[in-house]
Amino acid sequence: MVTRQPVCAAALAAVLIVAISPGSAARLSPQPQPPDVAAVLARLDDLYRSKSSIARMEIVVTSPRSTRTMRLKAWTRGEDDALIVIEAPPREAGTSTLRVGSNLWNFLPRIARTIRVPPSMMLGSWMGTDFTNDDLVKESSMHRDFSSRIDRRSDAPPGWWLRLDVKPGVVGRWARIDILVDDANLPVEERHFDRKGRLARVMTFDETRTLGGRRLPAHLTLTPVDQPGQRTEMRYLELQFDVAIPNDTFSLSRLERGQ
Amino acid sequence: MLSTKYAARSVGRNVRRTLLSMVGIAIGCVLALFMESLNKGRGELFARAGSASGIGHVRIVPADWRGRREPRLRLADWRVDLAAAHAIPGVAAVTARARAQVLLAVGTHVVPVEMVGVQPDLEPRTFRYVQTIAHGRYLRAGETGTLVAGRAIADRLTVDLDDEIVATTVGPGGGIQSALFRLVGIVSTGTDDTDLAVCQVALEDVQRLSGYPGAGEVSIVLNDYREIDRVRARLVQTVARGDDVMTLSELAPDVEGHFKQDAAMTRFVSGIILLIVLLGVASAQLAAVLERRREFAVLAALGMSGPQMVWLIVQEALMLGGGGALLAVAAGLPLVWNLAHAGLDFTRYLGSTYAFQGVLFDPVIYGDFGWWIVVYVGAVAMGATILASLYPAWYAARTDPAVALRVAQ
Amino acid sequence: MIMGARLPTTWRIAWRNLWRNPRRTSLALAAIGLSVTLVLLYDGILRWEADYLVDTITGPMLGHVQAHAPEWRRTRAMDKTMTGSSRAVEALRRDPDVGGVDARVYAPALAALGEEGFAVMVVGVDMAEATRPSRLLQGLKVPLGGRRVLVGRLLAEQMGVKPGAEIAIVGQGIDGSLANDLFTVAALIDTSVDLVNRQAIVLPLAEARELFAMGDEAHELVIYARDPARAGPLAARLRGSSELAGVEVLDWKTAAPGMNDLVELVSVMWVFVLLLVFVAAAAGVANTALMSTFERTHEFGMLLALGTAPSRIVAMILIESLALGVTGALLGTAFGGALVAWAYHAGVDFAKLTGGGPTSLSAWGVTFTMIMRPRLAAIDIVRVVLAVMVTAILASAWPALRAARLQPARALRE
Repeated sequence: MVTRQPVCAAALAAVLIVAISPGSAARLSPQPQPPDVAAVLARLDDLYRSKSSIARMEIVVTSPRSTRTMRLKAWTRGEDDALIVIEAPPREAGTSTLRVGSNLWNFLPRIARTIRVPPSMMLGSWMGTDFTNDDLVKESSMHRDFSSRIDRRSDAPPGWWLRLDVKPGVVGRWARIDILVDDANLPVEERHFDRKGRLARVMTFDETRTLGGRRLPAHLTLTPVDQPGQRTEMRYLELQFDVAIPNDTFSLSRLERGQ
Repeated sequence: MLSTKYAARSVGRNVRRTLLSMVGIAIGCVLALFMESLNKGRGELFARAGSASGIGHVRIVPADWRGRREPRLRLADWRVDLAAAHAIPGVAAVTARARAQVLLAVGTHVVPVEMVGVQPDLEPRTFRYVQTIAHGRYLRAGETGTLVAGRAIADRLTVDLDDEIVATTVGPGGGIQSALFRLVGIVSTGTDDTDLAVCQVALEDVQRLSGYPGAGEVSIVLNDYREIDRVRARLVQTVARGDDVMTLSELAPDVEGHFKQDAAMTRFVSGIILLIVLLGVASAQLAAVLERRREFAVLAALGMSGPQMVWLIVQEALMLGGGGALLAVAAGLPLVWNLAHAGLDFTRYLGSTYAFQGVLFDPVIYGDFGWWIVVYVGAVAMGATILASLYPAWYAARTDPAVALRVAQ
Repeated sequence: MIMGARLPTTWRIAWRNLWRNPRRTSLALAAIGLSVTLVLLYDGILRWEADYLVDTITGPMLGHVQAHAPEWRRTRAMDKTMTGSSRAVEALRRDPDVGGVDARVYAPALAALGEEGFAVMVVGVDMAEATRPSRLLQGLKVPLGGRRVLVGRLLAEQMGVKPGAEIAIVGQGIDGSLANDLFTVAALIDTSVDLVNRQAIVLPLAEARELFAMGDEAHELVIYARDPARAGPLAARLRGSSELAGVEVLDWKTAAPGMNDLVELVSVMWVFVLLLVFVAAAAGVANTALMSTFERTHEFGMLLALGTAPSRIVAMILIESLALGVTGALLGTAFGGALVAWAYHAGVDFAKLTGGGPTSLSAWGVTFTMIMRPRLAAIDIVRVVLAVMVTAILASAWPALRAARLQPARALRE
């Protein structure tokens, strides 16, 4: 079973943010109602779908050896075009990546060169983080690809554990995902299980803020389970949805001219 | 004919010397025979490797493939090529394949491999590594979504039989495409590097996953490897336009070259061995001639001419040679038969499969066995003895009867 | 005869007997000499081959002993390095059993001449070590430093790069940062290691470390033993040493068992042929000895009739055979030795000898030349001469004994 994944540049962080649903304001009630799972998942999926976006974010990669912080700005349009420019650290500022359709280029300001990345190198990890290219371009939908149910109630933090099992015939690395959503239906934690049923990685969400008109956790942490001391964090500083982006943004000349 | 009878009687007079000479010749011939049999066997070894290592004796490839061996290249029309291959008589197996550069992933574990799409019912006949599956089973015809991989791949992905693996590749348009496979067989080739090279799925699976239609190669194994060039000549005319045909020698040119060098070297050695034997025999023949100086003197006095004397000695030599040849054949036939059937087994040193210049070998070399043996031995023995007798014959012919008869024996 | 001291009579008679029939004796000597020459030549090649194979296999990449961070061989991850490598290298160099140490860095990267990026392997090596004979860059005289690099020839062809070109190298530093810089191609290299020619860009260790933001660390320490045959014990000893604590230490046979198999196979093949040659030689010697003794039955009969003790006849026959054998062997040794010495200096091109064909052999990713330089050790000569002597004695034993038991009257009639 083959699925074709168009490059969904908008899913830069594979973040599953749910829009606040009316009526779920924090109100202490003795018997919290279990959420409508399908609706929750649909909102989780839909969060980063937009025709275009501009974001500024910070990425921290921690390994047993070192901790590295990057700040970058990202433009996306539709499913094919994306431009990412590194703003910090200063040593790498101005380094950018452009994706247009099937092509991927890197621009390196320090040596003033633009290099096209060969397809064979496009499949691995993204920018040295724990995110894979899959995550980057993932078009999978939790709502569509998984059958879901409520597993149990969580008291600390208060919320619900949802159990997602991949539907047969769906191609993807995760056979099962456990999601903890709080009472505002925002994700708190995600646990990804590989196709052998082993816990492979954990994503945690916090620092809920309003960005781009949506209320969402701005900080994500991805921790692979069998690599001690290793994790990747992503933090949204700014975010805009459905903005008008000049056409020439996704071009080599713009890439080289810098931002 | 008188001289022949005389020659025969002379030969029979000194049985011990005659026998020793014959034995000497026989030993030399048997050794040379052994080497020659091995030499001929090398050709078979090479051809067997072609059939066992997945290369095939003859292969139909895309036109560009000669220049750059890019896995994504596909044949212009693989069905026409397959039909052309099947139409050739003397074909033992025909199999089509397609390759793709993919990333296998399980959870956070990834391994980049070259995935090969094969025809499961035909592939084991042409690729020895999948003839024995260490764990599980091989692919089945008509089945899709299953995968057989080398042990090192399974280890790096931390998976076992029946686990699911995601394979991802970059398609023709640059899009990322994935498919799910179930691991049904694990192959143990003996080394990590070779393990990483074994990743097989059904041909249709690669076609779908890679997005490139059709097959990238059609590999043909022949019943008789000596037909390779003839088959190639025929195929070139019948394959689809835009496709090319390559032989084993072209696909693995260095291997064949080395074999030829080896063969030349061993022939050289055989030659030296024969030379040694020859010198020994010459020495014996010379002794014989010297001993019979009186006799030759008498013959000369009786009117035998020089050439006639030479002819006499040559006949004696031929009888010696004939006897030696018979002995050689008697001793050599069983030896070479054994070599041809049991072969020289180097498995102890090389493991059950041995990779040389990118070609897999079954490290057993079989000698060649055939009627050529008799001809070879005969020619060698006769030739050697005649050569060995030249000097003694010439010496005998020069005998001055008067001088010889005067010398006290 | 000549030496002043008188040899026993039997010896003198034996020697003179040999030369009573100069032609036959000469032929016999020629046969024995040729056999010995051939055996020595083969021995010489065999001895060279084994050493050469090991040298060529271990010299460029493997070394005799290797050290890595525990997970590196399996994952090839950039960050699995051995730290404090300079100190370890210095300590190792002081070790009496160690001939040399090369510290290396291996980093996958992207290289581009123009816009097209190519996947490459950047290899940082200790230039002083790597340019020594039998090593990866043996004989290289190109000055490096100042961002000058060496590119594998096949890779260069693929990239369209020539010496003097400027290429960009982009990779990931050890701290995850983006490593990128411009380099000048100093030269294209044709090493004996296929992988290097196909994929590698080589530069001095210090520059590689700088490019990838590495400190005093290395991915691999390649250690050369003074005595290659003792690589195993050296590896075992270093494994327990303090400089290489916590590090995976392997001898080359364990690291690359396939290579070892190749070496063994080649030995087996040559020994096999050597045996064949030996048998032929023995047959030649035996034949000659037997024949010469049988032919003189009449003469022995005469001697016996004259009152010679049978034991003296046996002794004479044996000594004659021995003398023949030794003389032939010495002649063969002189000739063979000279041949080997010449071949050693001139180098014999196997390819030309066998009528063309490939001029190099490629197996397990390593290329071997076909120029042979045979050498002999004293033991080879001693062995051959002894073998000839033993064969000669054995071959003449039977006829000698038979001669001793001759009845003179019958013998005289032959």
